[in-house]
Amino acid sequence: MSGGVYGGDEVGALVFDLGSMSFRAGYAGEDTPKADIPSSLGVIEEAEIAMDTDDIKKEPVKEYRIDTNSLRVPRKGMEIQTFLKDGMIENWDMFEQMIDYTYKKHIQSESQEHPVMMSEASWNVRGKRERLTELMFEKYNVPAFFLCKNAVLSAFANGRSTGLVLDSGATHTTAVPVYDGYVLGQAIVKSPLAGDFISLECRKLMEEVNIDVVPPYMISSKEPVNESQTPKWKKKDIPEVTTSFHNYMVKDVLQDFAASVLQVSDVPFEESGADSMPCTHYEFPNGYHRDFGEERIKIPEMLFDPSHIKDVPSNTMLSMGHVITTSVGMCDIDIRPSLYSSVIVVGGNSLLNGFTDRLNRDLSNKTPSAMRLKLLAATGSTERRFSCWIGGSILASLGSFQQMWISKQEYDEGGKNCIEKKCP
Amino acid sequence: MSGSDVKDILELDRGPEKEFITKDALMNSDKKKKPARKSDVTFKRPEGMHRELWGLLWTDNRDAPPLIPTDTNQGYKQMKAKIGSSRVRPWKWMPFTNPARKDGAIFHHWRRVADEGKDYPFARFNKQPEVPVYSDLEYQQHLHDESWTRQETDHLFDLCKRFALRFVVMNDRWDREKYPDRSVEDLKERYYNICNKLVKVRAPHGTEPKIRAFDADHERKRKSQLVKLFDRTTEQVEEEEKLIEELKKIELRKKEREKKTQDLQKLITAADSNIDSRKADKKKTNKKFQQQQKIKETSVQTPETTGIKFPDFKQPGVYVRSQKMKLPVSLGQKKTKAIEQVLEELGIEYNPMPTEEITSHFNELRQDIVLLYELKLALATCDYELETLKHQYETVNPGKTPDVPLPENPDPLLEIGQSEDDHSRDAIDVVGNLTPNRKRKAALESTTAHLLKKMKNRV
Repeated sequence: MSGGVYGGDEVGALVFDLGSMSFRAGYAGEDTPKADIPSSLGVIEEAEIAMDTDDIKKEPVKEYRIDTNSLRVPRKGMEIQTFLKDGMIENWDMFEQMIDYTYKKHIQSESQEHPVMMSEASWNVRGKRERLTELMFEKYNVPAFFLCKNAVLSAFANGRSTGLVLDSGATHTTAVPVYDGYVLGQAIVKSPLAGDFISLECRKLMEEVNIDVVPPYMISSKEPVNESQTPKWKKKDIPEVTTSFHNYMVKDVLQDFAASVLQVSDVPFEESGADSMPCTHYEFPNGYHRDFGEERIKIPEMLFDPSHIKDVPSNTMLSMGHVITTSVGMCDIDIRPSLYSSVIVVGGNSLLNGFTDRLNRDLSNKTPSAMRLKLLAATGSTERRFSCWIGGSILASLGSFQQMWISKQEYDEGGKNCIEKKCP
Repeated sequence: MSGSDVKDILELDRGPEKEFITKDALMNSDKKKKPARKSDVTFKRPEGMHRELWGLLWTDNRDAPPLIPTDTNQGYKQMKAKIGSSRVRPWKWMPFTNPARKDGAIFHHWRRVADEGKDYPFARFNKQPEVPVYSDLEYQQHLHDESWTRQETDHLFDLCKRFALRFVVMNDRWDREKYPDRSVEDLKERYYNICNKLVKVRAPHGTEPKIRAFDADHERKRKSQLVKLFDRTTEQVEEEEKLIEELKKIELRKKEREKKTQDLQKLITAADSNIDSRKADKKKTNKKFQQQQKIKETSVQTPETTGIKFPDFKQPGVYVRSQKMKLPVSLGQKKTKAIEQVLEELGIEYNPMPTEEITSHFNELRQDIVLLYELKLALATCDYELETLKHQYETVNPGKTPDVPLPENPDPLLEIGQSEDDHSRDAIDVVGNLTPNRKRKAALESTTAHLLKKMKNRV
């Protein structure tokens, strides 16, 4: 117990944060998660191949490859799948595999000794929450459990109990109003314009300019070539992989491309102004390299001005600024000023260069001038990506939080539907 | 590492068991060692010595001030903790129950052995707002409401308890499938009404219960106003600002116009009174005294803008009479020039012999000159404005001519001016409504020049 100064009291709790990109786990009270495991799992239907690896739980029919090291090995017939859908757990089998793996490999301790705090999507449905509670208490025998909305945790990580959380992650961007530590579920706004959308657009761009994106797993050696020259590389001798595996690996390259090349322009995009933007050089894994100029601004511009998106009716999409204003507009007028005064930006996609600056500009144009607008965004990429986990770590190690857990006793008495009452 | 540490590690003869340090010992370790030394001699401040100097010399501990700067653990450094001088207090991973929990669940945490068995320190932060509970009987007797069912009210109070009266959250979690949608104000109104009724009913006879006021209608109005204010688009805000600016401009122009008419009115009255006085003068030419009086009167009557205010000598003492004819400095160069010019034309001396009669007449003449000058100027301005307005009217309603009654017999003098002036005026009119002030001034000046000429001709 660190005493009354910080109000902390550690009970050895674990924090699990489910994101569509990765699954994070670690001990409460620490500043970063112990494990950051991709939410995608490799699934092999036939169990004959690669029996020698120990770190896999074998099932009679399906075999799962979890965590970066075993996931990225090209294997015959390995499909890449995820257990999440729309931010909620869809495939419980895979989810259990994931939890098993985490306890075994990263926590390396007994599950019945640690209370568990888990994050959930702000729009999670009752059935899934109850099923999760049941799973944790029945299968893992945890002494206590708590389920908290990820927007609330992100807000806590940024030191606020009230604020509007803009979470731009992999699959979607959401604006969730948090008031006094409670999510206002009626005013959640979601938009599919997020990290995966950016990767998709990058892929389209590569097809347009005829760049063959070769992921590193295929390459055995390469030679340096001049700019924009055909790359010279040799293919590795690898088993035939599935499309989903290849796509996953290509997406990984594109994500790296997006992180290092793309730039959100400060002002709304215009064709004329784009020429003056500096180019950025990028080298693909196979050795091909060239400059990217206009494209690096054009792609992220779609996040802020959906009318730039081709072949999708633009009016159905909400831009980043629009997501926020729509969400705030649905809240009670009395709390709108406090929401605008702490707009919390989290999620890996918000790490795009210039994202927050542009968002700030768009928002200040859209909000009434009398409204005080403040954008809170952690500067470090770890804080931004793991904000939700960090919030959980803070919350679960607070002395005054220890009364909030659903204990084993309470579960035994009240059954699984106590989750609705105890974790609002 | 000191010898005692080595001994401690090797578990050799530890010597007498030292006490575990406490927070007090850490923070104020020096205090015990230095018992407050009583200053045996109380020094008194010598008479005539400044208090500040005395304070420098004699600090609280009554030590003589050091000659060289010293590094003491006094002063700001008093809170320095002394660590490592004693054995650490042991911690233990121990089970605890939290009194804030109803289920008595047991968790484990690290705690000092010394604190074992004490209450959980964070339980005192467990604060819950008081939500009243009503019985069936109370509900039937007092709390019945046409628009609320019993179930809905129960649901409301359940939410109140769960969300600790956070009405915004309660409104968010309101069961919209079972019950009609209610606004935050509806919820608050129902809740506070019930609270107040319960307080009233339960209050013992004769006492005045405390009532929480909640005016739902006022709240609703306030919120709708706020929403309206919030929903204004940028264009609307800009338009409003523009309109306010316009209004200010119009008011400013109105004031200006009023001031102008006032000035004009002053001029007219001045002219009228001048004529009157002239008439009166003719009747009573012989009476010098009255004449003088008249002059004084006119000079008093004429406002400051018109005519000349000659210095009035009221103080006793000797003065030269020519002083009475001296033009005041405040007159301004243009007017002085105009007077000079006319006098020259008329062939009158600029400084005539200041006899009593000449002085008064000369002053009167000059006053008239100035008045005439001003009248002409005002006429020119009015005429100019009329022209501009006419032009404006024509541009707004093309093809129409404003039927403004124009003076039937315009001053022939003015006509000369107009004809000469037409070109400059046209130039202005082309610019139309946007005539900048500068141009106007230029135009006015040219007319003034003409006026002077005309005046010469006339006189």
